[in-house]
Amino acid sequence: MSGATSVAALRAAFGGAVERDDLICGDAVVWVAAARSHEILAWLRDTPGQDYNYLVDITAVDYRDPELPLEVCYQVRALARAEDLRVKVALAKDAPLVVESVVNLWRGADWLERETFDMLGIEFEGHPNLRKLLTPEDLDGHPHRKDFPLGETPTLFNDGRFLDPAAFRAGLTGRNPGLTGWSGGARRGVTSTEGALPGEGRDKA
Amino acid sequence: MGLTPPSTPAEAAALDAASPNFITTRLDFLQNWARSNSLWPMPFGTACCAIEFMASAAGRFDLSRFGMERMSFSPRQADVLICAGRLPFKLAPVIRRVWDQMPQPKWVISMGACASTGGMFDNYAVVQGIDTIIPVDVYVPGCPPRPEGLIYGIMMLQKKIQGETFTDPTLRQEHLVNSDGLFLEPQRIDELSEPFGNSVHQTRSA
Amino acid sequence: MSVKPVNPPQVEAELPGSFSTRYMRINVGPQHPSTHGVLRLVVDLDGEQIVSLKPQVGYLHTGFEKTMENRTYQQCVTYSNRMDYLHAFAHDLAYVLAVEKLMDARVPVRAQRIRVILTELNRIASHLVFFGTGMLDMGALTPYFYCMREREGLMDIFEAVSGVRMNYGYFRVGGLYQDVPDTFEPMVPKWIDAFPKHTDEYFNLFMANSILKARTQGVAVVTRDMAIDYALTGPSARASGVPLDYRKAAPYSGYEDYVFDVPMREEGDIYARMAVRFEEMLESCKIVRQALDLLEPGPVKDPDRRISLPPRRELENSMEAVIFHFKLVTEGFHPPKGEVYVPTESARGELGYYVISDGGSMPYRVKVKAPSLANLQSLEPSSIGGLFADMVINIASFDPVLGDVDK
Repeated sequence: MSGATSVAALRAAFGGAVERDDLICGDAVVWVAAARSHEILAWLRDTPGQDYNYLVDITAVDYRDPELPLEVCYQVRALARAEDLRVKVALAKDAPLVVESVVNLWRGADWLERETFDMLGIEFEGHPNLRKLLTPEDLDGHPHRKDFPLGETPTLFNDGRFLDPAAFRAGLTGRNPGLTGWSGGARRGVTSTEGALPGEGRDKA
Repeated sequence: MGLTPPSTPAEAAALDAASPNFITTRLDFLQNWARSNSLWPMPFGTACCAIEFMASAAGRFDLSRFGMERMSFSPRQADVLICAGRLPFKLAPVIRRVWDQMPQPKWVISMGACASTGGMFDNYAVVQGIDTIIPVDVYVPGCPPRPEGLIYGIMMLQKKIQGETFTDPTLRQEHLVNSDGLFLEPQRIDELSEPFGNSVHQTRSA
Repeated sequence: MSVKPVNPPQVEAELPGSFSTRYMRINVGPQHPSTHGVLRLVVDLDGEQIVSLKPQVGYLHTGFEKTMENRTYQQCVTYSNRMDYLHAFAHDLAYVLAVEKLMDARVPVRAQRIRVILTELNRIASHLVFFGTGMLDMGALTPYFYCMREREGLMDIFEAVSGVRMNYGYFRVGGLYQDVPDTFEPMVPKWIDAFPKHTDEYFNLFMANSILKARTQGVAVVTRDMAIDYALTGPSARASGVPLDYRKAAPYSGYEDYVFDVPMREEGDIYARMAVRFEEMLESCKIVRQALDLLEPGPVKDPDRRISLPPRRELENSMEAVIFHFKLVTEGFHPPKGEVYVPTESARGELGYYVISDGGSMPYRVKVKAPSLANLQSLEPSSIGGLFADMVINIASFDPVLGDVDK
């Protein structure tokens, strides 16, 4: 069900614009250059044999470290062949976050791109109506960015400290120790749960 | 916003003059009996609680036995605003305006945890309790509250109404805010909430 | 900076000249009896005919995805079902399937069958609300009470299983919270066997009703190409002839074991959308019956201790069990780094959770592919040129749930 065959065809057609590809949890994911993303998606839609005629979702991910890019993800599906493909476009954070809109390919991209603009601040060039979709007009900022606070009600302690609940939870991600100072031990750099604790085999039902 | 104590001696004197007696209590009983048994709800249903509200109005947990089957979706003809569901910030001016449009006497039931306190959504998007915007009479906890819970809340409101009196002129007094008054600048909000800070100031927190 | 709600620039730019009396711009919602949630529409009317329609959503934006980034994977199950509160089990299922795929968890067969039973019963409940409120929009009051009466029977089943009537916290990553009670196996067939008699009654009451047919046939047509272009999924797309049902196209949780049809229509009008949902209710009954027949005793949780809590009686004797319990409850389990998207079929359409994990105990990013958001985009092209009253039932026919749209 993965679009692995399409990846090979993409590489053949576009060469260097296809930066890398991977098979993650059984899904084919391919990273493409931002400058040619529209061309590539149009090729995926129109080429007989590819026929990715259905746009499942458009979203974006903000990776926390400043040197990691923002990735715009397009999930497309070829209905006739029942194949999915995830196309990602990496946008470096030090350059303007602009990618070409695919509304002229799939009309359903309209609100999906508006939502991505609203939540992460990615500009879709050529979108007919790029404005906020979900958040109120007076909310500045883009909520799904990692530097946007969740906005929890701070807790007022008896000794006068005013603390944000996220500070307590920060230690759980394994990246920063947060208030408790507990950096997580086995969590650092973990890649699988196999053998994480001694003496316990993994039972398979 | 809402109800205020008497500000001038003349007002206080007027309050003293209208002291209750046997006739007024009988009239109060009649007025409150009529009002509490024919509350027309204005269902301000947003999310999951609205579905439980709909289930309360349906056959098994009948709201009609309380005189509340006539859901008035126009605030002008409603008695009680039932805010069923979470209230995001984008919807906050809307509920305020709807409440303003309701004529007195009016009451508010805050149905569900999200309407009462923000519920499980303590974040940038959800108002942490509609009582920050409109005065609430009864809070019904639950996520969502069972129809029986909502009915308990409605009956509690009925008891509250039965304790009212028309001899108290400040009870149904409402200070309407003008169109500028609804929107305050962030700096003004910070000034007003000085000692404890403003927990609603979420997206602009340090 | 005093902030007031303003018309978006696009809407301002399209306002007809101020002295024109032909077109009237009206605002429907966000608080309105029939917009099925807090949906706001800015409608330009030429008499009764709609010239332009601009839906404004976001009035129920709750910040689910960002909140889920701050909760452990098991805690996120409480959030997922409050998005689409009418088909809550579908969201739970989509989320736990995604995390289970990420973790390569093995869900026991009994848990899969029970999940399917509950999800299909919830689909019937959601379609009952669709009919109840849809007919209310058309001015028919009786079907509302009949449909809610059926739904109460389903709420009893859900309450017996999970303790709540709505917003269940029953599915877990790795299986279920606990096994179903003994009353489950008699209760469900009793309800399922009584249901077709009621649907026969409903068919005569509304689906065969000439007024309904006159109001809905040929109205607000969505063609097949339009449906694919506008990313329409679910019963609304199948009513336009798009053969897409993820229970068949990408079977999950044991759906390949059941024999059922996927109702489809070609017309794409409101009647087709209603008829597809009507038939889907009966197909769901079939699936539930088959799943009940195939239900065997067994465990309901993945036995892997790194995902599922140990049984409580072990906490009395085993220190390791206490440690596992403590770590799982306070910190949660850690899926490997990676990302996953599992498409499932909810009552509204394609539902999928795109979960990205960075190896921590909380999801790094959760994006919900919400069917109602994409489906609502089809509202504008199908309503333009039609009458205002038709737009009201058109919204009902796409069955949007604003919690799903706004997340």
